[in-house]
Amino acid sequence: MPMKGRFPVRRTLQYLSQGDVIFKSSVKVMTVNYNSAGELSEGARKFVFFNIPQIQYKNPWVQIMLFRNMTPSPFLRFYLDNGEQVLVDVEDKTNREITEHIKKILGKSKETLEKEERERRKLSHPATFGPKKYHLRECICEVEGQIPCPAVVPLPKEMRGKYKAAVKDEA
Amino acid sequence: MSVPRGAVHAKWIVGKVIGTKMQKTAKVRVTRLVVDPYLLKFFNKRKTYFAHDPLQQCVVGDIVLLKALPERRSKHVKHELAEIVFKVGNVIDPITGKPCAGTRFLENLSDSENLTEADTTYLSEKLQELKVCSTDK
Repeated sequence: MPMKGRFPVRRTLQYLSQGDVIFKSSVKVMTVNYNSAGELSEGARKFVFFNIPQIQYKNPWVQIMLFRNMTPSPFLRFYLDNGEQVLVDVEDKTNREITEHIKKILGKSKETLEKEERERRKLSHPATFGPKKYHLRECICEVEGQIPCPAVVPLPKEMRGKYKAAVKDEA
Repeated sequence: MSVPRGAVHAKWIVGKVIGTKMQKTAKVRVTRLVVDPYLLKFFNKRKTYFAHDPLQQCVVGDIVLLKALPERRSKHVKHELAEIVFKVGNVIDPITGKPCAGTRFLENLSDSENLTEADTTYLSEKLQELKVCSTDK
């Protein structure tokens, strides 16, 4: 797909996975109110243009709604699971400041993320073999330095069960 | 109330009311940003939910917050109206608490004492013109 449009880098997987705001599981809905014109709303507009794709990519189960030109002042509103609402005023803030702020108040901390990463690694054991979905490798023939797959290269005669059984019969 | 609530995956949703023709029920359209797998761009995907509105206080065009009911009320109604976030025609700016429309506050319009400088200069200019016309006569 050619890179069309302004800032097509926003549509790359690398850019999307670079987003570092991962919301806590209690955040359900995020609402952004901003204006199309005005200096005060500039940060909010940049936030919506650059950072919302990253946030939605990392939090696919959070509903994000954008409202334009409804109120004079730009703000963000989060609806949490326990009924609480968090109102964040973003008037006169750059998009970087906005992301830092919401990461601090509603983002998962680094320790939580590392803990989750460790839990995930514990579930999958790298030394087991099986379907690609659950294991790293399917058969030992995939490992370099081991016997190649007998489907591709026939095994030497001495290793084949047919030969071994014949030798046993003779003896 | 963590286990009982959840006949439905979506616990809290925000949407726009598109129909109120049913008795005590509002039809709400909810949009979510979904990524297109090839373009890697986010598009709004809409879904309609039915919400129980006992006082029938919703008008078409309101932005509402819905809460999932602990068990289904009827075949399609699984949510209830928790709060009207923005009432159509009567939007209150949550930061200042004043009524507003678009990018202007509505509060100042009716008061003549709270005219801005631009308004006063404009009005005085108009008055000047009127005075000139009367002296000519």
